[in-house]
Amino acid sequence: MDMLRVWPIICQFGIGAVLCGAGIWGGLKGGYLNLKVQQDRNLLTAITVGYVLLLITSCVFTFFAPYWATGGAQ
Amino acid sequence: MTTQLIGSHLDYIVVVLYFVIVLGFGLYFGRYTASTKDFFFGGQRFSWWLISFSCVATVVGSYSFIKYSAAGFRYGICSTQSYLNDWFWLPITVLLWIPIIYYRKIITIPEYMQHRFDRKTRIAATFIILLYLVGYIGINLVTLGRTLHTLMGWEIMTGATVTAIAVGAYVYAGGQTAVIMTDLIQGVILLMAGLGLFFAGVYHLGGFGEFWALLPTSHKFIFSEFNAPPEFSFVGIFAQDGLANTGAFMLMNQGIIMRFMSLKSVQEARKMTFFWILVLAPLAALAVSGAGWVAKAMVVKGELNTEAGDSFIKVAHFLCRPGVFGFVLAALIAALMSTADTLINAVSAIFVNDVYHPYLKPGADDQQCLKVAKISSLVAAGLGLALVPIFARDTLYGAHAMFTAAVTPPIVMVILMGVLWRRYNHTAAFATMVGGSALVFLSFKWDHALIGPLDFGMGAGSYKFMRALFGLIASGVIGVAVTFLTRAQPLSRIAGLVAGTQVEAMRQFKGGEPNRRIGKKAGLMVKIDVALSEADIALVPRAALDKMAAESGDLLYACHSSWWYGGLRSVHLKAGGLAAEEGVLHISPAAASSANFSEGQQILLEKII
Repeated sequence: MDMLRVWPIICQFGIGAVLCGAGIWGGLKGGYLNLKVQQDRNLLTAITVGYVLLLITSCVFTFFAPYWATGGAQ
Repeated sequence: MTTQLIGSHLDYIVVVLYFVIVLGFGLYFGRYTASTKDFFFGGQRFSWWLISFSCVATVVGSYSFIKYSAAGFRYGICSTQSYLNDWFWLPITVLLWIPIIYYRKIITIPEYMQHRFDRKTRIAATFIILLYLVGYIGINLVTLGRTLHTLMGWEIMTGATVTAIAVGAYVYAGGQTAVIMTDLIQGVILLMAGLGLFFAGVYHLGGFGEFWALLPTSHKFIFSEFNAPPEFSFVGIFAQDGLANTGAFMLMNQGIIMRFMSLKSVQEARKMTFFWILVLAPLAALAVSGAGWVAKAMVVKGELNTEAGDSFIKVAHFLCRPGVFGFVLAALIAALMSTADTLINAVSAIFVNDVYHPYLKPGADDQQCLKVAKISSLVAAGLGLALVPIFARDTLYGAHAMFTAAVTPPIVMVILMGVLWRRYNHTAAFATMVGGSALVFLSFKWDHALIGPLDFGMGAGSYKFMRALFGLIASGVIGVAVTFLTRAQPLSRIAGLVAGTQVEAMRQFKGGEPNRRIGKKAGLMVKIDVALSEADIALVPRAALDKMAAESGDLLYACHSSWWYGGLRSVHLKAGGLAAEEGVLHISPAAASSANFSEGQQILLEKII
């Protein structure tokens, strides 16, 4: 595995998770993000789903899509 | 970029027509501006979809089509990696930053600095941000002048002057409402043009399969390699765009903050941010980069001969018929104008709120401030124009880039630590801002010693990008160290301005306990009631209150029943007593006038908080 292609994903989604976590923590602290409220639960779900979708897209365009067809030049 | 005229007369007619339409559109919305709240925040009344599209035009900057198409041509689909980081800033933006600025009615970044820290930090931030913004207006006008020089053969100063007059005029007349409405059409135009060009190119090449096959394998990765090439490595782009610039865009971009504040509610700001980041930002990334990818595929196929910097214009010229090419050129100009108008409005807001009102004329009423806001918009456009001859010679251009690189990471860190960490105090904030900027400035002189240890083996070619990482780390270390060496501010002093106190900010906004129960919108008919003494008080029928899960004293929002107004005809109200008739909302003549409601108008009423 070419680690020069893997490190960007680890770095982006690792630091990204820290930033997301900081925001969610800041929302939960003090009760502004209230998980008893449907809207707020939806918000948290959307953040998580978005993160996962972005991760999947990044993996597809790193490990699979570049090899789907041979390019005209290397 | 190409330096000769490349369009037909029909293309230039389309471009001139575009200028006239945008100017007329902007001037028309001047009639919605009667107060500083209208001038800076468009009356704080707009819907999420309208602001989302207008934000696209602001995000896609003056140079985006050229720059990202060139990057796409050179490096492939990883040219979009600058746009893939917004998601990680979303929770901090929607759960911390937006509720804090919206509920505490923060108008500008320097104002936040004073509320959260102290006056000294506000003065430093005012000085830094004004210098940055005025310089940035100048850079935008230079870029516009150069673009019009290439496209239409005008002198750089002529193109910059025409644009400065057009943009200055509609910002003067309509403030934020004019900016939002013109940016709405400009956002749609530039998305249509960029995406249209990409899909036309793919169609021309024979479909996605053929397009993908023509691209070199090295062009098909979503990220560039971790530390290669030095001028476009992942770690360099991530540090500069993903951390410093995206953080700056979300937290310290005065134009974007004014867009957040233009929305009718914080809930609407959540929707807007999600839609913008999840849908429009990726589309914008495709729109600005796509021409470069198509150009690369066409070069591989032997159909086109171009350099990276010319790829956007060459592909547009190759694929478009006369007239359509003019539309693409209009999109390029749209990207330029929509950034300039936002900057001009932002300078005006900071000047009035952080210089004129607190220092020059503390007792000024709203109409005086509005007048000064309008004049300062023209002055901002004029100052930007005055910088054009200097920036055009590339002397101060580099100095402004250096200044921006030096001040952005420290201010981002000040706001980030300010909203996340209660213990972080005014002494630490000032030290972060001044010390962090000073260290970044020093890194221009001793780059090898200061940035070298963070270059991941890429050498001097990467310092331009890695300077952002150095700035963030240096500012963070200063901030943390000074915080622990000094005393914390009392929590009562910073309530509503830091994580964990957003509900307190809601209380301050409403002037009472927030009502967070979920309700539905109620359809009602307007009755203008001259007996209502307070402008924002409304009498609401019992059934409507129940449907909205609202009570007397709650903040409400009434808008025209046609969604496509996007909040342009709307008003914020406060639930007063009960209306006697079912299905009828009683509002004051002042509220009706503000919302452009007539007697018997069908409206939708919803609870805000």
